[in-house]
Amino acid sequence: MLRRVVVTGVGLVTPLGVGKDVFTRHLFGGLSGIRPITLFDTGRFDAKLGAQVRDFTPQDFIRPATLRRMDRLSQMTTAAARMALDDAGFQIGPHNRDRVGVVLGTCFGGTDVAAQFGKVLFTDSPRRANPILVPNVVMNAPAGHAAIELGVRGVNTTVNHREVSAETAMAYAAAEIVRGRADVILTGGGDIISEFYFNVLTHFHTLSPQNGGMEEIRPFDVQRNGTIVGEGAGIVCLESLESAEARGAIPYCEIAGWGLSAAPAGPNDWPTDAAGPSLAMTRALAAAHIDPGEIDYVCAAANGGRRSDRLEAEALGRVFATPGRQPRISAIKGSLGEGFSSGGIRAAAMALSIQNRILAPTLGLFQPLSPLNFVLKAETQVSIRYGLVNGVSSGGTFAAVIMKKIG
Amino acid sequence: MEQNRVVVTGLGTVNAIARSVPEFSRALQAGRCGIRPVTVFDTAEFRTHNGGEVQQFAPREMIPRHFSLKRMSRADCMAMAATIEALNDAGLFAVPDKLRGEMGVVIGGGAGGMLECEAVYRDYLLGTGRGVAYSRFASFCCASSADQIASQLRIMGPKTTFMTACSSGATAIGYARDLIQTHMAPVVICGGTEPLCRITYAAFNALQAVDPEYCKPFDKNRQGLSLGEGSGIMILEALSHARQRGAHIYGEILGYGVSCDAHHMTAPDPEGAGAALAMRRALEDAGVSTEAVDYINAHGTATPANDLMETKGIKTVFGRRAYQIPVSSTKSMIGHTLGAAGAIEGVVAVLAIHHHFIPPTIHHQTPDPQCDLDFVTEGARASDINIVLSNSFAFGGNNTAVVFGKFTDSGVSHA
Repeated sequence: MLRRVVVTGVGLVTPLGVGKDVFTRHLFGGLSGIRPITLFDTGRFDAKLGAQVRDFTPQDFIRPATLRRMDRLSQMTTAAARMALDDAGFQIGPHNRDRVGVVLGTCFGGTDVAAQFGKVLFTDSPRRANPILVPNVVMNAPAGHAAIELGVRGVNTTVNHREVSAETAMAYAAAEIVRGRADVILTGGGDIISEFYFNVLTHFHTLSPQNGGMEEIRPFDVQRNGTIVGEGAGIVCLESLESAEARGAIPYCEIAGWGLSAAPAGPNDWPTDAAGPSLAMTRALAAAHIDPGEIDYVCAAANGGRRSDRLEAEALGRVFATPGRQPRISAIKGSLGEGFSSGGIRAAAMALSIQNRILAPTLGLFQPLSPLNFVLKAETQVSIRYGLVNGVSSGGTFAAVIMKKIG
Repeated sequence: MEQNRVVVTGLGTVNAIARSVPEFSRALQAGRCGIRPVTVFDTAEFRTHNGGEVQQFAPREMIPRHFSLKRMSRADCMAMAATIEALNDAGLFAVPDKLRGEMGVVIGGGAGGMLECEAVYRDYLLGTGRGVAYSRFASFCCASSADQIASQLRIMGPKTTFMTACSSGATAIGYARDLIQTHMAPVVICGGTEPLCRITYAAFNALQAVDPEYCKPFDKNRQGLSLGEGSGIMILEALSHARQRGAHIYGEILGYGVSCDAHHMTAPDPEGAGAALAMRRALEDAGVSTEAVDYINAHGTATPANDLMETKGIKTVFGRRAYQIPVSSTKSMIGHTLGAAGAIEGVVAVLAIHHHFIPPTIHHQTPDPQCDLDFVTEGARASDINIVLSNSFAFGGNNTAVVFGKFTDSGVSHA
């Protein structure tokens, strides 16, 4: 039996604040989370800025016994999962804990912990490597920690596919609920800023500034010159409609469909044409049984990357080609930076947009690279029936999730 | 829309005892051991020195010339070699043009490009003066194996990578089956890949989970696992699609189940409750009764904790019948290939069904009174097998079990 899936809670640990209230105020109020990086010394890098999570007190959300075993990413994802569950008003007990799952996406996961572990290995001796670090080296640590903290034994898995990890995780989670394998799944993802990958991204010329420009993030703008890193965790509580109805929960929205696709690309590089990213969106539209013209709003993946923003804009132009029926488009990485596995934060933002009838601004966008219907400043009183969260990743992987207002 | 039945039409593998599927089948039946001194990196400084290394791996001989190996890690190359073998086996290489748009790829990852990046990282830390080859990081993420497969085959269906440590490969097979069952793709390349590397080797040594000799699953004197490497790939296909093109069918994916221990990050639930939950879910998803299972390919890492809890979990699920079902750990031959384990063991399950044999648990000398199931310790056993349950349990409490079945035209009820 196929079941309907709704979003009944959101949890956020982001550069724009912890918790949906602060996040909503700041994101839709047009604030930016980007500041000079303080997590490590940026002296030797051209890039100095990042959207760090600040004012996060994990003790507020996680018991001391589990907290002390967690790396920073697991703290953020577990806190966000707890918030999403509480926001949903869902109580976990012995009767339902096997029907509640955790499905997360992460791009870099515990890479910084692996780097710490490896440092001893290579500068001293493998025999001195610290066993305490080992559990957090693996990419599935955040989902494992969250399950232990929440005491849930349902489906638990981790998608580790670059920037589309969280969108793909949400697609998997939604499918599990549709099929009746779980009633509730906390899903989304997260990543943290670490010196290790900051260094690598510098060598791949991913970060602004490039070509002597200013250091800034300008999604979809003709002047864009690279991205600025971000971090954080965003989790949505997905629940079967029948479970939500049975306990009288009022959902934010419904998951109407999703689509996944690939396109040929060089290692860690971008495809040359928009067929791949277009396919994920058209597959999601087909799964939701709607026409492109019915999408009112898109939360895009654009991050100020020269080629990736162009690719996404071309795909959006191709899929939403009917004049007069083109969706509004925001790229909230202008406020949040490139958080890598950021699909959970963007899905939570979409749920809040649908509920509060607000569109988020695209900070840093002044001269659009194409004539799409971009949202430059926050707009209120906008009814969104269908919203699409778009995911694009280097290496040619694409995922789109469609969320629908209920009623 | 009616759900598709999902069948296996191609197999590929490289591992410590074989560089092709026919060789693997013979080695499994002969009970060969592939655990010997590791050579891909220098183990002098480590506590242990053995592993299940792929011998004389020569990707250029296994992967056609028109495929680039540029920027590909050992893990990527193993996955690509196994993919080419599996596609050839399925009669889908080169991939037909009309399939490219929809064919998907789902890989279970592990350390990805870690082996190569470790060397770069060491240069960075120690400052060798040679400069640091950052370009190697293009294949650092374990997603790069699926990226390479999809890009070089030019396929555009669903693509993703799971990373749940030791259950990644099993989950990848399960999800690929879901994608086909629900009409998201007609054919999916799925499996897992894992390289031996220093970080992983040091990590398991730091946890004192490695047997310095070779692993002895379910033996009273077991001391831990042997790390291994390799790749296992399957071509999964909608039955209607396979029939239409007259493909040879190895077997059927009947179902899978996923659960979480929610107990401890590295130690399994000692009662095997999470493991039992995954097995039950897999059987339920497959519509298979406990009576119908003919063989269990165990997770069987040979750590004291895993083998005991897995034995308990099997007893919880199967009751008295647990004693009548042959259970073996093929990790005794190839080591624990982590992210690839569930996928390579999936290949084992399909071969067992197809060639009518049960692979042995080798190195088992001393029975453990607490691990008292039929562990097939005397050598491979000839046997007609209809249903195999394959277990994979991981750090983080991530458990996955997959049910494989003999293919029958009628889609017999296995209940």
